[in-house]
Amino acid sequence: MSNTKKALKYFAKYLKNYWKGVTIVIVLSLISTLSQVLGPLFLGNAVQGLTKAVNKVSSQSHDLSSFYQSLGSMISVYAAGIIASFIAWMVMSKFTANATNDMRENLFAKFQRMLIRYFDTHQDGKLLSLFNSDLDNIFNALNNAIFEIISQGALLIGTIIMMFIVNPTMAIFTVATTPFIVIVSVFIMKKARIYLDKQQDKISDLNGYVNEQINGEKVIITNGLQKKSVQNFRKYNNDVRRAMFKGQFYSGMLFPLLQGISLLNLAIVIGGGAWLIVSGQVSQAVGLGLIVAFVEYSQTYFQPLTQLTSIYSMTQLALTGARRLATVEEQDEENTVPNGKVLKGIKKGVKLENVHFGYDKDKEILHGVSIDVDKGKSVAVVGPTGSGKTTIMNLINRFYDVNSGKVTFDGIDVRDITLESLRNNVGIVLQDSVLFTGTVEDNIKYGKPTASRDEVIAAAKEANIHDFIMTLPDGYDTQVSEENSVFSTGQKQLISIARTILTNPEFLILDEATSNVDTVTEAKIQKAMDAVIAGRTSFVIAHRLKTILNSDKIVVLKDGNVIEEGNHDELIKKHGFYYSLYTNQMAFE
Amino acid sequence: MGILKPHFKNYRKEIILAIVTILISAFATLWQPRLLENIQKAILADNKSTVLRDGIGLVILGLLAIVAGIFNVYYAAKIAQGITSDLREETYAKIQSFSFGNIEKFSSGSLVVRLINDMNQVMNMMMILFMQLLRMPIILVGSFVLSIITIPHYWWAPVLMLALMMGVGFIVIQNMNKLFDKFQHYMDKISTRVKENLQGVRVVKSFNQGENEIRRFNKTSDSLNELNIKIGYWISTIMPAFMLIAYLVIALVVFLVGRSANLNPTDVAVVSPYVSYILTLLFAILIGGFVIMNFTRGMVSLRRIKEVLDTEPDVKFDPNAPTAPEKGSIEFDNVSFTYPDSDKPTLENISFKVKAGEMVGIVGATGSGKSTLAQLIPRLYDPSKGTIKIGGKDLKKIGEKSLRNTVSMVLQKAILFSGTIASNLRQGKEDATDYELKRASEIAQAQEFVGQYPDEFDHEVEERSANFSGGQKQRLSIARGVIGQPPILILDDSTSALDAKSEKLVQEALEHDLKDTTTVIIAEKIVSVMNADKILVLDDGKLVAEGTHEELLKTSPIYQDIYRTQKAKEKRGEIDE
Repeated sequence: MSNTKKALKYFAKYLKNYWKGVTIVIVLSLISTLSQVLGPLFLGNAVQGLTKAVNKVSSQSHDLSSFYQSLGSMISVYAAGIIASFIAWMVMSKFTANATNDMRENLFAKFQRMLIRYFDTHQDGKLLSLFNSDLDNIFNALNNAIFEIISQGALLIGTIIMMFIVNPTMAIFTVATTPFIVIVSVFIMKKARIYLDKQQDKISDLNGYVNEQINGEKVIITNGLQKKSVQNFRKYNNDVRRAMFKGQFYSGMLFPLLQGISLLNLAIVIGGGAWLIVSGQVSQAVGLGLIVAFVEYSQTYFQPLTQLTSIYSMTQLALTGARRLATVEEQDEENTVPNGKVLKGIKKGVKLENVHFGYDKDKEILHGVSIDVDKGKSVAVVGPTGSGKTTIMNLINRFYDVNSGKVTFDGIDVRDITLESLRNNVGIVLQDSVLFTGTVEDNIKYGKPTASRDEVIAAAKEANIHDFIMTLPDGYDTQVSEENSVFSTGQKQLISIARTILTNPEFLILDEATSNVDTVTEAKIQKAMDAVIAGRTSFVIAHRLKTILNSDKIVVLKDGNVIEEGNHDELIKKHGFYYSLYTNQMAFE
Repeated sequence: MGILKPHFKNYRKEIILAIVTILISAFATLWQPRLLENIQKAILADNKSTVLRDGIGLVILGLLAIVAGIFNVYYAAKIAQGITSDLREETYAKIQSFSFGNIEKFSSGSLVVRLINDMNQVMNMMMILFMQLLRMPIILVGSFVLSIITIPHYWWAPVLMLALMMGVGFIVIQNMNKLFDKFQHYMDKISTRVKENLQGVRVVKSFNQGENEIRRFNKTSDSLNELNIKIGYWISTIMPAFMLIAYLVIALVVFLVGRSANLNPTDVAVVSPYVSYILTLLFAILIGGFVIMNFTRGMVSLRRIKEVLDTEPDVKFDPNAPTAPEKGSIEFDNVSFTYPDSDKPTLENISFKVKAGEMVGIVGATGSGKSTLAQLIPRLYDPSKGTIKIGGKDLKKIGEKSLRNTVSMVLQKAILFSGTIASNLRQGKEDATDYELKRASEIAQAQEFVGQYPDEFDHEVEERSANFSGGQKQRLSIARGVIGQPPILILDDSTSALDAKSEKLVQEALEHDLKDTTTVIIAEKIVSVMNADKILVLDDGKLVAEGTHEELLKTSPIYQDIYRTQKAKEKRGEIDE
């Protein structure tokens, strides 16, 4: 139940901004319901008037004025109803679309504020299904359910009131099956909800699987794993099939059930009316009239009930979706330190002070690491795979926060610096380069969208990718994406280097940036990087010793501890771990 | 609809039962008013036995409606879920038969949307088809006929009404079709945007581009929203338009009946039932309109799925070819390749031969076509021109299983799947024993960190393999490549994130443990392939030289150039020392 509450709260939050629209729709749908109730009344009057007139035909006074009058009333009532529902639908289409759009945009914006940890521990495909499936369900329900719930609800309440005014005893007969209906419905809905929830979970699992498989398709193709992939798919797909079948069956059952019960209810109403007459509580004439009237009422009473159940699965799916979205909205966000210090350049340097850190609380990766990077100096971190080098980058840029100890810029803890100014000062070239859908130019000026074409070209030249870009048919306007094959992996890396060069950061982190390009290119990049690094404070994470020989200081990391520190000559003289790394490399080359 | 036909066959029994139950419940719906009328008449006439008889009839009808209705839902759900899931499986299997080029053309984001979102639309469509749509014509025809019978000389009124509604419906559906098509297109775009942001989450954050990404996403989202509003407006018009038509017709008929009441006095008595038939007709059409709307959307989705199913894999295998692995020799004969979106060839007239068991190095500048060349061997793409042979056989005549058992490729970008280390390694050899896992991971120098996990090969792989460093990912991906001891192993710059020592150890282990394997190493550094039996030098898509290191140093200026630069750099390092 608290889940439903959470979902309803979510809806309330997003519909609040459209209260005007919601109010208009409520009022108009009440008017349209009213016209539906009144319309037949005027029609009845018209027919009555007509009958009277016809009966008077013999007397030659063929007076149709009351007939025309009722006909006119009928037309205007229906017209009012049609206009009201037309406007209501128009208003509603707009605000439901807008509200869903708000949800979608807020969800995306929330993604931008969430912790890296969340993304590292949740499947991309599952998060995608929030957009592909859940938001779609919500939109469908908003569009189709709101009007129905209001107008059918109004009809239901109106009918109940009318019935009790006309004859309480007969009214009780009419609603006699309602407790039974409620019990059965609650039972079925409970079941349906379980399976509909399960259905969405299973769909999201399937989405996760499909997304991962298709993204790794090259591995699948080259290893001939297609059959196996389909086999595993079958498992996920069958889970979806089973959960969906049950969800659809249980939620679909309500509609025919209520329709059938409404027929049974008619029998009760007729039986009840007969009992009133037989037991002498009402005269036969009155009783007959009551039966006829309540047969009508019973039908109008059940119409909204059955209508509402027919949209049950739609609303339930929307509630499930809203709950899932609300859960994401609850996730922790990055602390942007809005009142923190604004970092404007680096005056002294960057320090790691006795940093302890682990991605899991109980599994520490860095055990008290201290590293000083003085302003204008270049520090290289080396060490075997898995020693924690990349983790340090994660901490400097606050992708993660330390467990204890601190990372400081000019003595200020990074947790006291506004996140924006911190990241504006830190430029990173990541291990894996990523391209975004757009032009080559868009990708290079990604970190500085205001950059001019000249700046873009200058950065591309520095990163040694300009010449290649010029061979593309559309040059800088060539459309690229993560998936298409315009660039090789090495070229992608050059693009991401150009991207970083363009933002001209104060502090530079290079995470094995030059490992994927050929020697000729690498030499040129190294030159460019040397130029970029000069006068800048930098932190190089590298496996290739050659690329770091020029650094002012080398920190050797092993199993999460700094085991050696110094410049190349000092470390070589030491004949320690670095020495063996270096001699190994030289021996190899 | 055509692509559903073969699936319908598997559910013949369910379909028949769904239709039977729908007929029963439609009958109950049409019969009920008549029964009620009889009962009311009988009550007025004080005919107790008729009241009792028809009352019982009403109860039976009610029970019948419940039973039929529930069975109808059961079978409809069975059919809808069954067929959708079968279709999803068929589509996924089709995607798995695609070449990499096919997948690139659709984009993986779009394929995911088709498998999830579009399939949901198809499912909804099927539910509606077997629960509502089949009922509509019965009720529609029933009330149409009844209304004409009631006042025959106004036969043209319901006909006019239907014609007008069909006209309106036709226009709306024409437009909706286009809009829904666009809708799914925008869904693809949204999905791609989100996917890219998830994949590049660290880039977005480190460049402080959250705000810009939001702005960009909102632009797409707003276009989708505008479209949604447009679709909403169309839907908003259709209901009132139908109602307007129906009520105008009713008013017209009532008016005409009134005006000629003295001529046809009997008409007056039947105005009430006439109107109720027209209203039933209207509601049938209204619900029908709503149903058709969903149906339209389903059809658009079905078309998008059909697009996938109709795509022929552009790399085809001979299903009757033998499955045994081929020998490890490789031969390129005048091979050229151009990517589909490009007009400049990436590879031009490449010819070379490699004997089984040899080690071949491929070097060349970034973008010279090394990876592309390598990807032609496992047929990730097929050459645009020329032939490739392995084991002396044309690649196109080798069966898929045989090819996969012959060629193993370790990609530049190490991709791991969620699961465990073991499940990832076993992708290279399904039935690999624990011993083989260990052996492969030793060759790839992965054992040093895998051995440190308490759960060793059962260690979990997180999303985006976030719990492994680049070097660890590459080692595991090498282990996956060597586990099957393939006749041909291609390493596409797959040691780039390894330290020099580990790289050397990997190569030594390969030489030692995979002696008979033909190894193709694509390297950025000459030193990585210096010991190769043969080195191919690529420049701008052309094979400019081949030979051993020593030979090339003498004959190839480009090779000399690359080597010199590298040497110079080494020296620079040494001078610093």
